[in-house]
Formats: sequence, structure tokens, C-alpha cells
Amino acid sequence: MDEFQEILQDFLVESFELVEKLDEDLVELENTPEDLELLNGIFRVAHTVKGASSFLNFDVLTHLTHHMEDVLNKARHGDLIITPDIMDVVLESIDLMKALLNTIRDTSADAGIDVSGCVARLDKISGGTGEVDTPVSQAAPAQEEEVASEVVEAEEDELDYDNMSDDDVEAEIARLLSQRQDEDKAKRAAKIAAGEKVPEAPSVSEENESEKEETPKTKPVSTPVPVTPTPAVKVETPKANAKAAAPAKRAPATVEQTIRVDVKRLDHLMNLIGELVLAKNRLIKINDDVEERYEGEEFLEELNQVVSIVSLVTTDLQIAVMKTRMLPIGKVFNKFPRMIRDLTRELNKKMELEISGEDTELDKSIVEEIGDPLVHIIRNSCDHGVEMPDVRLAAGKSETGTIKLKAYNEGNAIVIQIDDDGKGLDVDMLKGKCVEKNLITEKEADNMSDKEAFALIFKPGFSTAAAVTNVSGRGVGMDVVKTNIEKVNGIIDIDSELSVGTSIKLKIPLTLAIIQALLVGVQEEHYAIPLASVLETVRISTDEIYTVEGRSVMRLRDDVLSLVHIGDIFEVERILDSSEHAYVVVLGLGTQKLGLIVDSLVGQEEIVIKSLGDYLKGIEGIAGATIRGDGGVTLIVDVVALMEIAKGVKATVTSESSASQLTHEKTKASDYTIMIVDDSKTDRMIMRKALEPLGVTLVEAADGQEALNILKQGDYNFDAMLVDIEMPRMDGYSLATEIKKYNRYKNLPLIAVTSRTGKSDRMRGVESGMVEYITKPYSADYLSSVVQRNVNFKSEFL
Amino acid sequence: MSDKLKQIINKQNDQQNETLDQSDDIVQLVGFIIGEEEYAVPILSIQEIIKPIEWTRVPQTPQYVLGVFNLRGSVIPLIDLRVKFGLGAKNNDDETRFFVLKQGDDVAGFVIDRLTMALRIKKTDIGPAPETRAGDESMIDGVGKQADRILTILKVNKLLERDF
Repeated sequence: MDEFQEILQDFLVESFELVEKLDEDLVELENTPEDLELLNGIFRVAHTVKGASSFLNFDVLTHLTHHMEDVLNKARHGDLIITPDIMDVVLESIDLMKALLNTIRDTSADAGIDVSGCVARLDKISGGTGEVDTPVSQAAPAQEEEVASEVVEAEEDELDYDNMSDDDVEAEIARLLSQRQDEDKAKRAAKIAAGEKVPEAPSVSEENESEKEETPKTKPVSTPVPVTPTPAVKVETPKANAKAAAPAKRAPATVEQTIRVDVKRLDHLMNLIGELVLAKNRLIKINDDVEERYEGEEFLEELNQVVSIVSLVTTDLQIAVMKTRMLPIGKVFNKFPRMIRDLTRELNKKMELEISGEDTELDKSIVEEIGDPLVHIIRNSCDHGVEMPDVRLAAGKSETGTIKLKAYNEGNAIVIQIDDDGKGLDVDMLKGKCVEKNLITEKEADNMSDKEAFALIFKPGFSTAAAVTNVSGRGVGMDVVKTNIEKVNGIIDIDSELSVGTSIKLKIPLTLAIIQALLVGVQEEHYAIPLASVLETVRISTDEIYTVEGRSVMRLRDDVLSLVHIGDIFEVERILDSSEHAYVVVLGLGTQKLGLIVDSLVGQEEIVIKSLGDYLKGIEGIAGATIRGDGGVTLIVDVVALMEIAKGVKATVTSESSASQLTHEKTKASDYTIMIVDDSKTDRMIMRKALEPLGVTLVEAADGQEALNILKQGDYNFDAMLVDIEMPRMDGYSLATEIKKYNRYKNLPLIAVTSRTGKSDRMRGVESGMVEYITKPYSADYLSSVVQRNVNFKSEFL
Repeated sequence: MSDKLKQIINKQNDQQNETLDQSDDIVQLVGFIIGEEEYAVPILSIQEIIKPIEWTRVPQTPQYVLGVFNLRGSVIPLIDLRVKFGLGAKNNDDETRFFVLKQGDDVAGFVIDRLTMALRIKKTDIGPAPETRAGDESMIDGVGKQADRILTILKVNKLLERDF
């Protein structure tokens, strides 16, 4: 049973692949009914499915495919011209075939689907009349049908042997078996299969050709194959005749060169790599720390080497796994020719689909996500975009509307573009509809740019169609597009010109999980900006920033770039003094550009995107979070949203950040607060004793670090600080330098109290921002008077 | 020695029997203090309780959302219950803890002032929430009565629900 299951699995996977290709080919066939290579390819698909299904005892499927094969065979031999009506029946039978395959996948049996009606119609076609039965014939008595199908089955057995020689059957078995054997055996078996199978395909067609004495047109395609001597060349020959071989997808070489892997395993692998990347970042961070601490030690060299190898291999590994997950976007595009064809007939319009770039590769999870949005967009283009043939002619366009579907790489993303040459989007009509449906207010409508108006079509509940049709008009579709594309961090860009056409661009990142990011600092916070959106970074001085109409701008070469401070967007409190220089990260999105002012550039890092979870999802401007080398969390900037927010932010860049020192009116002596920083408890006591008579509030800290923490907490408003110079962890000079970085404490008087009396010590004190220098020992009165002077102590409190 | 052992075993047996007898009627809670009052949540909703660690501020959130922190590789939101309950923010001290609550896929950390104890309380000792607010809206599940005090039992799903 297990063996059967495995064979069944292989059969299903292969069949689904074949059927997918079939749809595309058939539609193409309708346009070029004379294309023999295509016909041969399609015929072989039906044949392959039939062969395998009869081997696996799926009678209904065999029955159906057999009759399909009959029709196709006729067409192949020129006895039948494929008309749209015939094609409808053939397509219907393929739909049935898909349904059957689905049933088989779910239940391991092909019962429950009635194919007799379709078979009857197929029979009628192959009967030579070329006419198509109306579906009424389905109502034929069941008994008769049974008899008919029995007869057909009997026939089919014979036919089966005709079409499938013993060799073929054996090759089929060998191939199926070989797939589930272990690697060595698989290789050997495959070679045998390859040896037997390559002549097989042509032998089928040659048999038929000789039978029916067909035109020699197919000969050049099939003849070279049996002649080729070695297996290696055999593999190549079908490739040379790619057109002929491709539809059948039966190049024997593929058996050896690919293995099918459960997606779950790949997902798991990707998660593991994500963790590995985080660990690698951590390792690099530790390496840096160690380097700083043990500078010049020999083992550092070695550690450095190991760290770089690990990081190199991790990156390569990540790329390799990413590549294994890549699928050509053609997988999604394949179903559209059929869709367009059906829509053409349904809507009575004339439409053509041009596909290009179907080889462009995308991460599997993304390929799965974009299928639905594309269906909606294309349906929309067909229904609302492309006009009726007469309207088109009247407008001086060609009768047939063209929808172009193309995919191409752009930087770290791929772009899928859907263009139609239909009537385009009417901005005023869009606005009107939205106001009518209360989706926007009239005022909003008036202030809207064209681009913003185009984006209205993505509003839930919006529809331009006057009536709900089978195809679209429910006002759900485009909302789905937006949600799905946003789910994969994609960007949608719409362009449209009235009566010329509409172009929708979907820009989608290659992969979801791991991205390159630029880390920037603002005050004490860090943010990660996806590198894909960063065009460049520039360092400017603050006087290069101008204000125009309340917005900051700067001149960047020949352009004027509007600026926004990241701190204004993310409500960062400006505690630290901003320096004269700033860094501008130039962000690009479509045609939009924006300069983001940051305090510092930290560096480039590979980051693993983690979601903020349900509780915090949907925060404007934040796309997610990542965990950094030091274990901290860094937020990832959502560039799209940021551009939106930036529009509403007024400039505060040039205006002096007014974290102003509120001069609290002192009403009593204890309103004065003074911090004593000294590592010696005795010294602190002496200072306390000297100042207590004043009645001021005293706060003590044992070293610079502690003092800084107290300042940061902001529980007190200090009026002065007494600072010892020699302290553990952070000395007085460093403390003074740190304190001066804070806007709020820039003018806080720092009084050095030290036993260091050297001139250079005094100089350093002045440099680091100390205003007074008291040398130990000192008299209590002296200390008190210095403090009083520096805090402007009001004499009435004495 | 053996007497002591016996005693312990007996005690344990008693306890077990008690649990078995009344498992339906007993609720296990963990109590904690915010400001002046004691609150409690069901013990099973607690994923873990940790000492304060560093967190990252998240912009455009209400004041009570402090930000996010890294709990062994997961990014988890951090909510200050003091602020949420309308008390002023307070600096973390030795007794401050992060309560990581979990229900389904929703996880969040909550800052509390101090832990009290794990306690077992009879269902009959739990009164309904004071009817100041409509039942579903209220964050209070009920009021537990102990010999010497009362504690407010909070709804975990309400705590984990985003309300901004």
C-alpha cells in the first residue's frame, strides 16, 4: 500500500504539473491551430496521464483522457480543425480532468464525478463531424451510457496497447518505481529508463505518422533523437528542440537532477537560518568587544578569521537556501491565458494577453500570495479596463484590447506590471463614487492628488462597476489585492491615463524573512531601514537645511529634497544636544524621494524580520522588529508609511529644539537640589555637613555612572553638582562630558572637588565643562559659598 | 525521622485529596500589587515572571505601552499596568517584575510593582465585579475574598486585548 501511495504521489505531482502547462498550451493552440509541435505536446500530456492512470486503475480518468486523446489525435493529424467551440469542450474535459485529479488526491479514488456528458461530446467531435453537442445530451439514459462506456473501455484497452507498446509500459513502470528507490538504485534505474524512454516519445508519433501517412513536417523534430548514440547527447537533443520537448516535460535527465522536497522542511530550514543569522550578528558584536579589550593579543587574529568565515558561510548558506525556495513566477502566470480566454467569451470582448518575464524567480511563499491579487487585477482590467470592441473602434483603438503582464527584477525586489490599453481611470469619477459611498469626505477628495485618487480603488467597499457581474463589481477584489500585497511587504503603484490605459505595478521583495538594513541612531534609539529603499546617505551641516512653507528642504545636487527628522516621526524626545552636523538618509520609493535626518549612521546589518505581534500590529511607520547582536530589539522602519507620515510633519529641524529649562521659581531653600558625586563615603559626608546648614536638598551618587543614571531618570531638577575626579567606573571628566551632551543639563554648573591640583588637571576640568575647581582640603564655608554663588542662592533663605 | 516522613506523606495525601475533591471549586491565582491594591490573574495564564530587562520604545502607542522586549528570541510587547490603571509611572526597583501572560497566540509582558503570592481560592469566595461598567467591557473578572484582604481578579483576555 505504501508503495502504491508513493507512486500515486508522484503521479499526482506530475499530472498537476502537466495539466497546468496544458491550459496555457491549449489557449495558444486556439490562436495557432496549425501548430503541430504544440498539438503534439498537448497530445502527449493527455497520453501520459492516461497511461499512468490506467496503470493505477483510475478507470474514470482513463476513460476521459482516452477520449480527449482521440480528439487531439485527430486534430494532430489534420482531420479536425480546432474551432473555439471544440476548444470549449476540450477545455471542459481538462477541467474535469483537474477535478478528477483533485478527487484522487483527496480520496485516492476517482469516483464521484460524472464524465459521461463530456465524453459524449468529445466522441461526437472525434466522430468527424466537428460539430459540438449541446450539453442537453447529458440527459441521456444512464443505462445507455454505461453500456457505451463499457464498450469504450474495451476499445480503449486495445487502443492502449496500440499507443503504448510493451516497452512504453515497462519504461513507465521503471520510471515510477525508480523514483521511490534509494539514490544509487534510482540513478541506475533512471539510466535504464532513460535509455528506453527517449526513443519512446518519437515512436508514438512515428507509429501514428506511418499509420496515417502524415505530412513530413514533424519528422525533423523526431528523427534526430533515436539516432543520437550516447545518453548524454540524448539529454541534450530534446533541449535543442526545446519547443517540442518542453510541453511533455519528459526529459529523462530531470529524474536524476531534481528531488522533490516537502515545503515544510524548507520552511524549517529557513527558520533555522534566520536564527543562525541572529547568532552570527551576535558573534560579530562579541568579536568587536573582545577586540577592543584585548587589543594586540595573538589569539585575536585567529578569532577574527573564524568569525569572518562563519559570517561568510552563513551569508552564503542563507542565499543558497533562499534560492532553493525560489520558484519562477511563470507558475502563477500560467493560469492567466486560460482566464483571459474564458473572460473574452464571457464578456464578449476581444482581449489578448502578453506575458513576459515568466522566468523571474520569487520566494515560494510570495508566489503563493500573489496569485489571488493578480487574478483580481487582471479580472478588473478585463471587466472595467478594456472596452467593448465597438467602443474601442469608435475611440480609434484596435478592436482587440491588450493586457500585458510582465515581471522583472529591480534591485532587491521584483516588479510585476499589469498594463492594459483600456479606458483608464477617471479621477473625478473615482472621487465622486467614493464621496457618494461615504468612503471619503468631499474635502479630502478636493485635496487629493491623482495618485492618491487612483489608490481609492483599493478601498474596501469601492467599486466602479454599475452592476455586480459574475466577473467583478463586488468591491472586494482590489481590497484583497492591497491586503495580500502588503502582507508580503510589497508596494502597489498605479498609473493611468484616461482612455489610454492603466498600469499597475506591484513591487515585491525577493524574500520575506531576512533583509539587509541600514541602522541609524536618533538620540539614544536605533532604527533599521530596509536597504532596498535607501538610495544614498549624505552628511550635511545644519545650515544647509532651509525652510520652505514650513517644511525643511535641502539641495541635493540639482534637486530639492524635502527633509523630515526621524525624531519627529517617531516622537523621540530630544534629550541629547544635536550637533551641527546631521546625516540624511535619502529614501526612494517609486518616483518619490525623501530625506530622513538622523543623528548617526550605525552601519549595515542583515536583520531577521520579526512581527510585533497582534497587540502592536499596524503601527504606522513600523514594519516589524528585529533582534540585534546585543540582544536588544530594534524596530524596522516601514518606508512606505513613513513617506505618508512625512507629508503631514511640519519642520522642527532648524528651530532650536526647545526642551527648554523651565526655571522653577524657588520658594524655599529645599527647592535647591544639589548632587554630590564622590566614591568616598567620608568625602560625601564632609560635603553634606558643609551644605546641610543651607537647607538645600542633597542627593548622593557613588560614581559617575550612578550620577548619570540619576540624571537620566529625571526625578530631580538639579541646580548644581559637586563632582570628584577620581572615581571607579566613570571618572569626573567623562561624567562632565556625558552630562554636557544633554540639552537639559547643558547649563548645569559642575563643580569639581578634588585633591588633584596639577595645572593640567585644572585644564582638563575646564575642557570637560567644569565651572569651578575646589581642591581638597577645603573649608566648609568655602564650599558653601561656591555652591551658593553657582546656584544663585537667594539670600533670604539663609 | 520516619514519623516526620509519615507526617509529610499524610499531609501531601490530604492535600491531594483536597485537590481532587474540590478541583472544580478551586481557582489558582497569582497575586501582585500595583500601586496600593492587590490584583490577581489565573496561574495558568502566566507564561513566566521575569526580572525587568531592557526594552525598546515603540512610537505612536499610548503611554502605557512601554515598547517591546526580547524574550529568548521572541519580540513581546510590554505594558505598564501602573499607567494603564491611571497611576503615575514609577521607576523599576528590586521588586518590579515583568509578568508574561499568554492566551492562545497572544503574549504580552506587564510591569507590576511587586509579587505577592500564589494562592488557591474557592470559587464561592469570588464575588462578581462591581457593576460600574458593562460586563464585557470591564477588565475585572471578579473580586476574591480572603480572610484578611480582598483582591481584584483581572480578565486575561481583556489585558491582552489591544484597545487603541
